[in-house]
Amino acid sequence: MAIENECFATDAWSQEVMLSELEAPHTYYLVAEVEDQVVGYAGLSQLVGATQADIQTIAVRPNQRGSGLGRALMQELTKEATRRGAKEVFLEVRADNTIAQKLYKLFGFKQIGLRKKYYQPDGVDAFVMKTSLLRDDVSEPLVLGIETSCDETGIGIVRGNTLLANVISSSMDQHARFGGVVPEVAARAHLEALTPALEQALSEAKVTLDEIDAIAVTNGPGLAGALMVGVGAAKALAVSTGKPIYAVNHLVGHIAADILDQGKLAVPTIALLVSGGHTSLLLVRDIINDVQLLGETIDDAAGEAFDKVARVLGLPYPGGPEIDKAALGGNPAAIRFPRGLTLPKDMAEHRYDFSFSGLKTAVARHVELAESKGETLVISDVAASFREAVVDVLIRKAIAACVDNNIPRLLLGGGVIANARLREVAIEACRENNIELRIPPLSLCTDNGAMIAALGSQLVQAGFAPSSLDFSADSTLLVTQIQS
Amino acid sequence: MSEHLVSVKQGYVLAIDTSAGTTVAVLSLGEVLAELNYLEPMTHSERIGSAIEEVLAKAKIAPSNISQVVVGRGPGPYTGLRVGLAAAKFFAIGANAELVGVCSLDAIAYSYYQQNPNQNVPVLVTTDARRQEVFWALYNGLDKGVPIRVEGPSVNKPAYLEELLTGQEHIVTDLPITASSLGQVAHFQSLTDLGASKDSSPIYLREPDATPGKAKKVSG
Repeated sequence: MAIENECFATDAWSQEVMLSELEAPHTYYLVAEVEDQVVGYAGLSQLVGATQADIQTIAVRPNQRGSGLGRALMQELTKEATRRGAKEVFLEVRADNTIAQKLYKLFGFKQIGLRKKYYQPDGVDAFVMKTSLLRDDVSEPLVLGIETSCDETGIGIVRGNTLLANVISSSMDQHARFGGVVPEVAARAHLEALTPALEQALSEAKVTLDEIDAIAVTNGPGLAGALMVGVGAAKALAVSTGKPIYAVNHLVGHIAADILDQGKLAVPTIALLVSGGHTSLLLVRDIINDVQLLGETIDDAAGEAFDKVARVLGLPYPGGPEIDKAALGGNPAAIRFPRGLTLPKDMAEHRYDFSFSGLKTAVARHVELAESKGETLVISDVAASFREAVVDVLIRKAIAACVDNNIPRLLLGGGVIANARLREVAIEACRENNIELRIPPLSLCTDNGAMIAALGSQLVQAGFAPSSLDFSADSTLLVTQIQS
Repeated sequence: MSEHLVSVKQGYVLAIDTSAGTTVAVLSLGEVLAELNYLEPMTHSERIGSAIEEVLAKAKIAPSNISQVVVGRGPGPYTGLRVGLAAAKFFAIGANAELVGVCSLDAIAYSYYQQNPNQNVPVLVTTDARRQEVFWALYNGLDKGVPIRVEGPSVNKPAYLEELLTGQEHIVTDLPITASSLGQVAHFQSLTDLGASKDSSPIYLREPDATPGKAKKVSG
């Protein structure tokens, strides 16, 4: 009752109403607890056999708001309504409560009516809102995922949390002579690869487009022109097939890859995503509700550093595997290259951020100096020492994130995870610190459509409403924007 | 008695062009049932989904009733152009429709001749190619409804075109590209012996703007 009065100061239910609600056979109430304290509750009313359900109330203590509790309660209520065979869910909300309305809209609720001066004594109108629960069973949705954020055209299909197809068409070879990904080249390649990739994915998954329940597409972050190819294709496919579309975050997709590997994501977890375009350290409490950016690179991505240093050493693109090869037999301690943002003053401000541009310059300077002095360069030592510097910083900061946040779990993702030394050091450091390490298979670590489908599937399973058709491709999409 | 039957696939046509703005239309046997034209050159990926949905609703046609998708192949600024091409490809797959491609400049020439039916001077169609260049093509009337392209499509500086056309009488048009005209061009093409073109590849006319990379010197 304390929460009731705190949340609904003027129009709270009386104790009698509350009791009869809780005791009635057709209602379903659940409470949210934080550290054994009840901090919120929500209730559903649905007569036996009825296909319409009502959300009776939802309350979260003011000091606990904004942490996803409201969403979680709503999610459970809509799931329960689905279990009880509801096709439609109704609710009333104060016209002046825009925060609650925003939450309901996330679950597909739309305003269908108005009750004048419903809330007394304030005389505030009520909006009547309704959502449709389209499927009887959302637990195993068949989702198609489309990924075109960089140089990989990925189309994947998942059922629930199970991988059915993961087709990746890479334009990497076309970028080789440029020494890095050329956005225009990547975008052109996406357009060519889309149709064959879709056909192959459907045939591998042995499903037809008709059977697909939802389409998920990466709308950022990534290369704008590349993203737009996938977004344009996905929207048109959604319209032509009448399927709902979910615009999802590429980085969070990388985390979803682990669901396909493990069946579920163990949370909370720290995630380290390292690729040619990203170097990010994330704290994941809930993949669809709560992903927090701890830090990221302030200049080059780690994969980019590998490519640039490979060029300095006269090695081909992509640099990662080439540096790995060149480092064979090299001494990782031969040259002490700088570890970006690890000095005490940097750690104060950039504890979980990365910087690789100074490291790249240091390698280039080392090489030029040796050349000017006429010394022979031991490429294997340079490659091994450079790689050690990158890996050292990445893992050191990831472990710090685990320890600081008291989260004994680390998930790796992104193409640079292919680097053997990175995995080796990660395994070692996690063992020393009693941290559970998760490394999905490489085909799920590099950019792919299956991880996008997996994230879309989580949103569908949670009963989230599809994205509107007007979302944009956003090259700098924040990781907190899980669905657009 | 023998009757010559023209083979026209019965059904509805969705035309899409994003080589300039975002423009979509629904046609049936060359008749425009509905169209939507957004002229602004930057919002293709935002617009395309709703634009298709709205134009179908306006024409009161279900997506599954579309039997052919006509797409503008450009030339046009690449990022926008690809949005329409990607959308057309996947719409066609989803609706199980045939996909045909038309040079986007043909649609402008068609519009021009529709508005000026007795024109017998060559018509120059130009669109912005950025970098102080234009995409262009030269036309000489319609043949059974299909624009007769005598030169292009190409990309050049305006000065080059001036020189090329010195002493040659011609008219320059700056009509916008519309998907309705694009769909009509495809319709008349389908009535010819050659038929409409199955080629829906983009007309880029320029190689990607990138040079093979070299490591930069850092100490000096």
